[in-house]
Amino acid sequence: VKQKLSGLRLRHETQGTGPEDAPFALSVDGEEITAYPGDTIAAALYAAGRRAWRTARNGEPRGLLCGIGVCFDCLVTVDGVPNIRACQALAQPGMVVVTGQRGEDVE
Amino acid sequence: MSRAVEVAVVGGGPGGLSAALAAARAGAQVTLLDGYTRPGGQYYRQPPDRLMARATRRQRQGRALWQQARDAGVEILSDWVVWDAAPDRTLAAAGPDGTTLIHPAALVLATGSYERLAAFPGWTLPGVMTSGAAQALLYQGVAPGKRVLLVGAGPLQLTTAAELLHAGVEVAAVLEAAPVLRKILPHAAAMWGQWERAVEGLESVLALASRGVPYRTGWGIVSAYGEGQVEGARIARLDADWRPVAGSEREVACDTICIGYGFIPFNALSRLAGAQQEWRPELGGEIPLRDKHMQTTMPGIFAAGDGAGLGGYRSALLEGQIAGLAAAAFLGRAGLGQESALRGLARRLERERAFQRLYSSLFAPELGLYELAQPDTLICRCEGVTLGDLQAAVRENGAASFVEAKNITRCGMGECQGRVCGQMIPQIISRLSGVSPEQVGSNAPRPPLFALPLHRLRAADQAAAGRSFERRL
Repeated sequence: VKQKLSGLRLRHETQGTGPEDAPFALSVDGEEITAYPGDTIAAALYAAGRRAWRTARNGEPRGLLCGIGVCFDCLVTVDGVPNIRACQALAQPGMVVVTGQRGEDVE
Repeated sequence: MSRAVEVAVVGGGPGGLSAALAAARAGAQVTLLDGYTRPGGQYYRQPPDRLMARATRRQRQGRALWQQARDAGVEILSDWVVWDAAPDRTLAAAGPDGTTLIHPAALVLATGSYERLAAFPGWTLPGVMTSGAAQALLYQGVAPGKRVLLVGAGPLQLTTAAELLHAGVEVAAVLEAAPVLRKILPHAAAMWGQWERAVEGLESVLALASRGVPYRTGWGIVSAYGEGQVEGARIARLDADWRPVAGSEREVACDTICIGYGFIPFNALSRLAGAQQEWRPELGGEIPLRDKHMQTTMPGIFAAGDGAGLGGYRSALLEGQIAGLAAAAFLGRAGLGQESALRGLARRLERERAFQRLYSSLFAPELGLYELAQPDTLICRCEGVTLGDLQAAVRENGAASFVEAKNITRCGMGECQGRVCGQMIPQIISRLSGVSPEQVGSNAPRPPLFALPLHRLRAADQAAAGRSFERRL
């Protein structure tokens, strides 16, 4: 179940001062989403209205739990590399993120 | 490939930065390894550069300490994950191009802590997260949800609630499991001289009150519900053992639940390095035994900050300074006046520890916290082990230790390596078997401490590693 909870980007927090602060696009499951420099993949997913993106071994949806890189619940595949922590990896322009990774992929 | 350094510091939070700074100022060559993209740890977590103009006082303090360390000549390697430590102080550190074996002449471990969680029905639903996760999102300019319920024990829930309100996010309520007001009176004397802390707490309470957000002490969560993600929570008044009081239950609509019951020291590296550990529940659980100079039982291996026993950032700053000076002295770099500096730091640390004793007596988890799970509730989220599986392991297979439960169920063996469930399982097995949590034992850390892509685990070749060091200098 991929339910959306949109509008989580705080408007006053989108502004930066220079051209390097401009938003950019990355691909998540084939869909373009917008991120800002310094966003982790998890923050970009939340801002895009996605809070469940991994499937646990028992089939449950999972997303962000600890937010500090210790729980590994938020794993995604980034540019073909699996098991990347969405809460730690920074979103980059043109990055290709695939979610829905299942627990048993981690071996 | 391998590399020799004088002092290696692991961890870039308050403890690690202050240790690195103190050792560098004492004349040592210092390399700081930090697993995050920039220094600061959790307490000084830095905002993205574009939002620096809106940084909090805490974030500015962290940035200043980071710059001081850099100016003092500390080599800071960010996004370097230390995944093993040996008794001879050798570290296996994964950089962007692979793993380098670092051989420090003295080692300071300042690995911090992470939030203590407790399983309840619905705790695996997306939308249930730690308060730290909510803060991390908030500092990136993203709200964790539209309507947030905060539950747990300790001041972080209050601080986070105040920050959410400040950012314009609706807060449903803050539930503090500990009956703080009733418990604080006998300890009023220890609060003497702690006005800064009292004011911080009061400011958060006032921020809640001014927006009509309930702050309930002696209340907790019973379960979370929702289709595919959080839609609400059942909450209840708690008795002295933190067990829900019958008849007090009510529902709260929310899309996000922030949980956190204090912190757990991340002692895995000191344990892997062979340092003797002791069981000190009032300091968060299992921690390395240390002398007054923060040296563990392994010569030349020092430990500072929350990872060596909870104390908060003020303690971490002081312990870091002591450990940094002591690490430099271990190399024969003791400056003039070092002894009196160490004595002064020790006196200040003693005052901080008095506060930590108060803090732990106020917010220490009671047994009811670990009784919320039902037989079908997951305990080990990674391996999918339920309370029912653990009950069967104890009652049918006679498991009475962590190791036995692990052999039977695989609990604590998943991607998180037991960091999430590892502290609940001894409590649960203890309740089921009658054996004390200390005797049930803890989950042994195993290298690699963090699951990393293979290209980061394999040895970095000379050229690639050289390039990555240069990039960061």
